[in-house]
Amino acid sequence: MSEEPKQGGYISQAWLVILLALLYGGALAGVQTTLGPIIEENKKNETYSVIPELIEGAVKENTEEIDVVGENGKRQRVYKALGEDKQLKGWLLAASGQGFADKIDVLVGLNADLSTITGIYVLDQKETPGLGNFIIDPPFRDQFAGKSCLEPVQVVKAGPVDGNQIVALSGATISSESVATIVNKGIANLRGPIDKLAAEGPSEEANTPPEDPAKK
Amino acid sequence: MAEDTKPTADPEPAAEDLSPADGGPTAAERFINGILPENPVYRQLLGMCPVLAVTGGMKSAVTMAAATGFVLICSNVIVSLIRGLLKPHLRILVFTLTIATFVTIADRTLAAFLYQMSKTLGPYVPLIIVNCLIISRCEICASKQSVGVAFFDALGMALGFLLALSSLATVRELLGSGTWFDMTVLPAGWPDWGVMILPPGAFLTLGLLLGLCEWVGQIREARAKRSS
Amino acid sequence: METVINLIQIAIGAALINNFVLHYFVGICPFLGVSRKVDTAFGMGCAVTFVISVAATLNWTLTYFILRPGAPLPAWIWKMVGGDSATTLDLSVLSYIMYIFVIASSVQFVEMYVRKFFPPLYKSFGVFLPLITTNCAILFGCLEILKHLQDPTALWGLHEALALAIGGGIGFTIAISMMAGIREELDMCDVPKSLRGAGIALITAGIMAMAFMGFAGVDRGVQQAVTFLMK
Repeated sequence: MSEEPKQGGYISQAWLVILLALLYGGALAGVQTTLGPIIEENKKNETYSVIPELIEGAVKENTEEIDVVGENGKRQRVYKALGEDKQLKGWLLAASGQGFADKIDVLVGLNADLSTITGIYVLDQKETPGLGNFIIDPPFRDQFAGKSCLEPVQVVKAGPVDGNQIVALSGATISSESVATIVNKGIANLRGPIDKLAAEGPSEEANTPPEDPAKK
Repeated sequence: MAEDTKPTADPEPAAEDLSPADGGPTAAERFINGILPENPVYRQLLGMCPVLAVTGGMKSAVTMAAATGFVLICSNVIVSLIRGLLKPHLRILVFTLTIATFVTIADRTLAAFLYQMSKTLGPYVPLIIVNCLIISRCEICASKQSVGVAFFDALGMALGFLLALSSLATVRELLGSGTWFDMTVLPAGWPDWGVMILPPGAFLTLGLLLGLCEWVGQIREARAKRSS
Repeated sequence: METVINLIQIAIGAALINNFVLHYFVGICPFLGVSRKVDTAFGMGCAVTFVISVAATLNWTLTYFILRPGAPLPAWIWKMVGGDSATTLDLSVLSYIMYIFVIASSVQFVEMYVRKFFPPLYKSFGVFLPLITTNCAILFGCLEILKHLQDPTALWGLHEALALAIGGGIGFTIAISMMAGIREELDMCDVPKSLRGAGIALITAGIMAMAFMGFAGVDRGVQQAVTFLMK
């Protein structure tokens, strides 16, 4: 077997590796510049494409993203849903927490005066397929529409529901309760700050809107 | 004596290492070889991690097979092109570098154009880097053969991998959700065998399918022995 | 106190509930290949735990300071060369290559260290140590940590990354040792000819996976118990 190369021989041995590293690095930089923006777009669209579904009359291109500081002291992004005529149609906030199996990410829609939930959308979940998985389907999600934000949503095992209650999925009580807890915590955390923001008026803490309004 | 003309330090190269000109397997033979006789999953037992993980449905299985095939073919071709420049003790490094680059490209392309699928496949696309199949093909075939032979070998292995993934995904998806490629196949009355989609189902299905392949192989061997 | 509960949750999650082998299907090759005898299996598990901790530490440091979007070191260099401070540099496209190199180097260093300071241990490991480089479990652990370094508002610290890595390694050790124990028994049983070897091992793994599914919700219970005891 050949002996290990001496000090000076390292470059002559490793020139191929160094050259390849540079070439591949360049190729990856190219990939990142071309595909990076598309991936960012995809990530944003995931949230944006749901907005018209959760808030009636909202036009997703007019949505504004604003950072607020929640009751827990952490900065969080909320979405201000505007209609065709730039009128305030509602608010959306993202909330996440521990589900049965892993984290669940939920998008919660609130109406313009922050009194009722317009609906929820499950962005990401890894619950048990065939059981907890059904939290993503309309029959479970639609129960949240119309519930009040002023008190926590409660989960009961069977109907009929009374007041701010929803029925848990059969065989997936923990997943259902987790979603309700996440929604309740998210609203409790951000409802106050959003209310304050709505009262103060826009553009104080507004981030750059996704579409340039000069396009109009 | 004729045997003494060869230096004793140099062992006879294995039949597989010979290029087609020297009597080793041709490109076409390597291609066919990769699909069933030397199937990467059922015969060589390589690359099991994605086989178990993404075969819950046909769509993710086929996407994973395509991604693995892309990385396999590209890295085999590149390694074959630079095979003359490889230093023996740095070659694994070069293989890994090449494979990691192509996996990053595949992963980013998936995230850009098939975003939902990319999220479903999750961390298993980067795990193609440590898929033993690709490194072993680079080591065994691409670093010693010409580009054409390496390309067809990679293509054969990729098709074999697709076959393995599809067979497992078909069983799991049909029994687990009654669908195939998300189209309902079994009648609505079929009680979905949830366990098939979950980890235990993956292990059990693969174990039984492996047993099936072994059994078929043994029957053929016995038949060949009887007829010879 | 909350951090300790969080760490315990992460570790138990990685070891039992989302076991690397039986839930995430990583590390199957050594799981099937090295699980013939309990001693070698346990040794392999310990080696994997050690390497995964080293690799996780190095990779966390690398990602936190250099690779993630908005990382401090590239931002500092960018400012030095006069770039504008509005652009956030994102070097995460190089993550996979850097990770696999760090893992390969960690394995090399661990091998040299063990060979120098624990020769009998090195002899018993033999060829396993270099094999750990292609062990999916290590790269998977690092990828999981990467997942938690994406959101700037909720970054994982080194302690959480290590909790995941060590928990995952311990889970791997538990799974592989159990499998070895079962296979030692299976050697004396009458397994059908076509299922011998990998076939019966996978079926056993399936039954083990079913058993481990029973751990779901344990971390929540531990959290509630610890919170209750702390009151």
